[in-house]
Amino acid sequence: MTDDATRTLGKGSAPPGPVPEGLIRLYSMRFCPFAHRTRLVLRAKGIRHEVININLRNKPEWYFTKHPFGQIPVLENSKGQLIYESVIACEYLDDAYPGRKLYPYDSYERARQKMLLELFCKVPHLTKECLVTLRCGRGCADLKLALRQEFCNLEEILGYQNTIFFGGDCISMIDYLFWPWFERLDVYGIADCVNHTPALRLWIAAMKQDPTVCALLIDKNIFLGFLNLYFQNNPDAFDYGLSC
Amino acid sequence: MSGGSARSLGKGSAPPGPVPEGLIRVYSMRFCPFAKRTLLVLKAKGIGHEVININLKNKPEWFFKKNPFGLVPVLENSQGQVIYESAITCEYLDEAYPGKKLLPDDPYEKACQKMVFELFSKVPPLLLSFLRRQNKEDCSGVKEELHKEFSKLEEVLTNKKTTFFGGSSLSMIDYLIWPWFEWLIALELNECVDHTPNLKLWMEAMMKDPAVSSLFIDPKAFRGFLDLYLQNNLEACDYGL
Repeated sequence: MTDDATRTLGKGSAPPGPVPEGLIRLYSMRFCPFAHRTRLVLRAKGIRHEVININLRNKPEWYFTKHPFGQIPVLENSKGQLIYESVIACEYLDDAYPGRKLYPYDSYERARQKMLLELFCKVPHLTKECLVTLRCGRGCADLKLALRQEFCNLEEILGYQNTIFFGGDCISMIDYLFWPWFERLDVYGIADCVNHTPALRLWIAAMKQDPTVCALLIDKNIFLGFLNLYFQNNPDAFDYGLSC
Repeated sequence: MSGGSARSLGKGSAPPGPVPEGLIRVYSMRFCPFAKRTLLVLKAKGIGHEVININLKNKPEWFFKKNPFGLVPVLENSQGQVIYESAITCEYLDEAYPGKKLLPDDPYEKACQKMVFELFSKVPPLLLSFLRRQNKEDCSGVKEELHKEFSKLEEVLTNKKTTFFGGSSLSMIDYLIWPWFEWLIALELNECVDHTPNLKLWMEAMMKDPAVSSLFIDPKAFRGFLDLYLQNNLEACDYGL
């Protein structure tokens, strides 16, 4: 059971108090891929944190004081400082907390990871569109073709570098920033999009061996349960799978 | 500045040789606002560099080996390492070169600059859209959207109570957003910031910065370029040379 297994807060809920000293707070949602990035970094760096899940279909009024458009993820520290945009939040955590650095020290290698992120930028939108299209009972052949093309670009990078991970022989920030969408390929019904990209499949297998990735792996049945309720516009979708 | 005012290289041109030791090369275009970001940082940090201008309407084949997206700016160092995407080039220069740091050391302040950068992100396509429509169709819708985006930036300055977007001194975020405001001045569209007084004051403060003023765009050349560019004329990038 991950540390974010708590019920969401929705409209009418009381705003949470200040963040206790020594902790950082993450406003999140258990199935959101962008928030997943931040949870991976928190875990990988061993950062003490608390998670408040937000009901994205029924947002608390107070949440708009944390983010102007009510989006997640948002970090809040004990000084009341707020950081949003998943990539900015992940970089903030890497900069602000000691221990294992996820971004490389070398300026050129750092720049390379950021350039790789640009190469990835169409993937979130395309995977979401495939999911929505399939769930509405329509075919998504064109979308899958476009997604496969993006995956080919990533495959080329791995081939050119001849490394297992996108940052080299060890897992690093860029791998964590990509991972959430690859974890979702199966449950979204588009796992065949990596049929022609063997290096990417090896990367996926290697990622599944990473302790941080494993610890946060979302149970397939629970995810499917969430998706079913989500596409029925059920406001309880976000809490699916919680025992209490 | 070596090459800053040189004719652009286009299709059929010979690829340039390796970058000399001690210099960094920037592939640019004289009127590109994204490349302007990189030029401002190079200037502000006093980094020795050479400029190769690219004809963006008639790109050399070899340029796609430097950047598969075929866009400027691109940095190339004497080790043959290539960096592209304007914001990434600027951050790379700040990290790799000594002297005055343009990005703050404090992780939260650095994150704030990146959040303001996101806030600004709608302005470049909106401004281009506005310029395309001027004198043609009704551009009041785009103008209104632009005002909305400027108001968001105004709010940042109002809340911070500082002259610049990063605090009381000019820093990276100011240089990153400046090139589009430079366009407003060059095209005499200052009225766009009439309802955002802090933004107006910020523009005046920016004009006093040595890097900004030494690289200030020539209004006549810019207008000439813009006319040709919007008509997809191959000669646009070299207007005024």
